Amino acid sequence: MCKECGCGETNGNTRLQFTVHGYTEDSAKEVEKALFGLPGVLFVHIHAHDGSTTVDYQPGKTKLRDIMGVFDERGLEADL
Amino acid sequence: MLAGRQGGIKMEVRVMKNVLGENDRVAAENQAMFAAKGVYVLNLMGSPGSGKTTLLEKTMQKLKDELRMAVIEGDLFTTKDAERIDRYGVPVIQINTAGGCHLDAPMVQKVAPQLDLDHLDLLVVENVGNLVCPAEFAVGEADKGVVLSITEGDDKPMKYPLIFKESAVIVLNKIDILPYCNFDRTAAREDITTLHPGANIIEVSCTQGDGLDAWCDWLRQRVAETKAQAQKG
Repeated sequence: MCKECGCGETNGNTRLQFTVHGYTEDSAKEVEKALFGLPGVLFVHIHAHDGSTTVDYQPGKTKLRDIMGVFDERGLEADL
Repeated sequence: MLAGRQGGIKMEVRVMKNVLGENDRVAAENQAMFAAKGVYVLNLMGSPGSGKTTLLEKTMQKLKDELRMAVIEGDLFTTKDAERIDRYGVPVIQINTAGGCHLDAPMVQKVAPQLDLDHLDLLVVENVGNLVCPAEFAVGEADKGVVLSITEGDDKPMKYPLIFKESAVIVLNKIDILPYCNFDRTAAREDITTLHPGANIIEVSCTQGDGLDAWCDWLRQRVAETKAQAQKG
């Protein structure tokens, strides 16, 4: 994590880039908040206009299916 | 450590997973030892200057006659913070990391025999001032807590998300100077609860005394829960 001193899980995170279909401005904000609320999710960035969704997370704390679940619960289709 | 060669240059590759695995193992031992004795341990983290030591001083003023307290002070080189704690007559152990940016579980395990765990309710481990690395290394605490001061800026939760995700309690300190800073309190609180739904956020002014009762009540509750758990075995 800490790239200054090299300690911690420097490369322990996984960054995934999804393309999500069907965002509205509101649902994008809602998804962003829900993703951030998952354990181990440290960064989320969404472009609602083209569905580009970046998630940086610790796989040891959150499973991919938990992330996919956030999209599924809202009827959104996400491609990796 | 693994040693290897690439393009004629000798490289050292640190195997961090093993380091962290070993730290977690020792942290679990520390945690079990403290829990068995019914000692509530808080790993207090935050930036340099956020007010960790001042918060501890105010906490001791309010609680030292009610709870049996001790403090482990993490510092790069000096004993300055430990000297401040010592004035209150609370047992304090100094760990100097000699440049290390965080405390870890073996450091705490090494000094733990100096603590009278049979006669202790609350142990606060004040980590090295740093908003990044301490969040990754458990020391054997029951909870992590972070102090964020108004002067650091409202953007810090999203910039340093791990420490806010890991912390059971977030103390928003120096709340008295809000009118003089462009710190968006609502945005900061929203970012913290976005990162950590259900987080306990306690707004405090150590200099004016605001919020200190709520902070001490939170500590009392966690101490009582820890004692009750230890009695249940």
